[in-house]
Order: sequence, then C-alpha cells, then structure tokens
Amino acid sequence: MRTIRPNSLATFVVVLFGIALFYWGTDGFTAYTAESARVNRLLEARPTFPADTTFEDSKGRTYSISEFADKYVFMTFFYSTCSTVCVQLEGNMARVFDTLPAEQRGREIVFLSVSFDPQRDDPARLEEYRTFFDSDGETWRMARISDPNELDSLLKEFGVIVIPDESGGFAHNSAFYLVDPDGKLVDVMDYTRPEEAADKVVRLLAEETGRDDR
Amino acid sequence: MKQSLYGLALFVLLALPPVAGLMESLMIAHMHMQMPLLVLSGFLMAKYGEIRFTRFWETWNVNGIPGILMFAIVAAYWMLPRAMDEALASSGMEAFKFLSLSLLCGVPLRNSWSKIDFAAKGTVLVVFALLFAALGLLYVIAPVQLCNNYVLLEQIALGWGFLTTAFFMVVFIIYHWFTRPASG
Repeated sequence: MRTIRPNSLATFVVVLFGIALFYWGTDGFTAYTAESARVNRLLEARPTFPADTTFEDSKGRTYSISEFADKYVFMTFFYSTCSTVCVQLEGNMARVFDTLPAEQRGREIVFLSVSFDPQRDDPARLEEYRTFFDSDGETWRMARISDPNELDSLLKEFGVIVIPDESGGFAHNSAFYLVDPDGKLVDVMDYTRPEEAADKVVRLLAEETGRDDR
Repeated sequence: MKQSLYGLALFVLLALPPVAGLMESLMIAHMHMQMPLLVLSGFLMAKYGEIRFTRFWETWNVNGIPGILMFAIVAAYWMLPRAMDEALASSGMEAFKFLSLSLLCGVPLRNSWSKIDFAAKGTVLVVFALLFAALGLLYVIAPVQLCNNYVLLEQIALGWGFLTTAFFMVVFIIYHWFTRPASG
C-alpha cells in the first residue's frame, strides 16, 4: 500500500495537469482552432473600422467607410482569381443578401466585398466579377483597397490572415464580418452557414428599427 | 550514456532555425516528422535521467501509469490544430513545444512503456489509433481550413498521413494481440 501511494498521487497530478493544459490551450474549452480563438478575440475587442481606409469600387468611385455612415456593413474579404473558398464565400454572401427584404438593402445595410489583391482586382475586373453573383454594384458593392499600407492595417485590425502561395494565389481565412453604423465590428460569422448569418442580421436590423421608432 | 548524447544531438539539430523552419514549412512534416522526432530525442535522453534520478522514477512512476498518462496528454495536446498554429505564431509556444514533447512526452514514455502491462499497452495503442483515425478523417473531410498557417491541400495531406499511421497502428495492435504473453 505504501509503495502505491506516491504513484496514485502522481497519476492525480498528471490528470490535473492535463485538464489545466487543455483548458489553457483552448481558452477554457471554447477554441480548438486558431481561427475560433481569433474570432473570440475579435468579438471581445470589437475593433473600429479604420476611418482613413480608401475603397475603390467596381464603378471606379473612391470613398471611405463614412460612405456607409448610419448603415450596417456586411463585409467579406476575397480575391477574384480564387477558385475555391472565395466562390463559396461570395455565393453564400449572395444567399444572405437574397434573404433580406429588398427595402432594407442599401438603406439599413450595405453589402461590401473587399478584395485583398488590388493588383489584379481593378475596377474593370471587379465589375465583371460582381455579375457572377448578381451583385448590383450599389447595395452590394465590390471594392479594392489600393494603398498597401491601408490594406495591411485593415487586415491586421480585423484579423484576416493572407498568405501568398507559389501559384499566385493566396491562403486566407474567411468569415462574414458585420460592421455597425458607428463603424465598429460587431460580429464575425461562419461563412459556411449563410442561413444562420441571415437570421442574425434580420434580428439585428429589427432591433435597430424598433429603437428608431421609439 | 551514449544514447542520451545522441538524443541531445537530435534535439539540438531539430532546434536549429533552418531545420525547424524547413520542417514547419510543411504541415505534414511539422506534425509527423518534427514532433515525433522531438519525442524520440526525449526518449533517448531519458536514459541519463533514469540513471541520475533513479529514486524519482521508482517513487513516482511505480506502475508506469502516471508516466504514460503524461505522454498521452501532451501528445494529444499537440495534435490540436490550434496548438500547431500557435507554435508558429509565438516563440514562447515554440519553445514549449520543443521542451514539452521531449521532456514531458519522450522521457516518461521511455520510463513507463516497459512498466505497464499488456492491457495498458493495448489501451494506449487503441486510443491513439482511434485518435489518429478520427483526426485523419477530420483533416481529410473538413471543408474549411483548420489551420491559418497552412493551405487546405496540406491539411488533406496531413489527414492521409494520420490515416496511414492509424492503419499501421491497427496492424501493430493485431500483432500485439497475437504475441500476447501466454498468461495474459
């Protein structure tokens, strides 16, 4: 009996260590991938969209985020030569867009697809690309950020990781980003679940209207 | 003693920035070469620890269960997609990876494997085979990128690596079963 005791104690300590290690490594069993940890951190930090970022959209117009003052902005980050994830990302964005009532689109919420490949995604290319997803270029705009410094700081602020690969493409993480009328990031949603994202947006807009009526 | 030196040499080699950089540039090499080699370096270095701290092991790891649990927990931790990403993102996590896989994984494995009985060995093998198969399927089937630092194709390669390892573990488990001691 005496010989087994330190051994049992050691077993107990090791199990405790294991629980602590996994608890610490997954932020209390909530984030098993770096992506979910990133989203959790973003939702806590709620960064503000950098006011000095200049978009250039598919119509060649340039403006900053203040263009969308008093509106929600539903945002994605993509590049047009991407043949895999971005197609699904933008396709699902179209599904969210179609779910919302037409009278809200453009008035209370604007959809914005931001390209992180300004070299290739010039206004002409974006103008062509938007038609693939039936984006009207107005209530759902596609734009690039031409200034590399502005682009980098935005990607960093919103935690978008973009890694160029050997074949001229990019590896990148994807999500739906929702920026509120004050320019604050309020939600980061799973882009593979457009129904859930649409429900959330509908609920949020209804709350907002309720508040305005009062 | 010689073994421990080989282990230390292997550890130092793996820690050299060009070697570490090369291995970490490929997801499958990161998880299926660098990490097991770190465990191996600890396994070899354990010889020194066993001679130097005989009493410690005799007192705290009598039946090998604490040691093998430690091995399993740390090994499982490093299979989390997030752990792998964080090792690439921060040097603190990278250092923790090197130290934990060699000292907390390889060392206790050496001391415990010979102590645990047939059933416990079988349990460890089956658990890891199941874990590898599950992770393999996850990495192959997952439509989304689980690791921010690696592209999807590398993730699928890693998945097949896991499945292959799981397959050979099953073969080994069958072998383990047929060569079981007559009394057990």
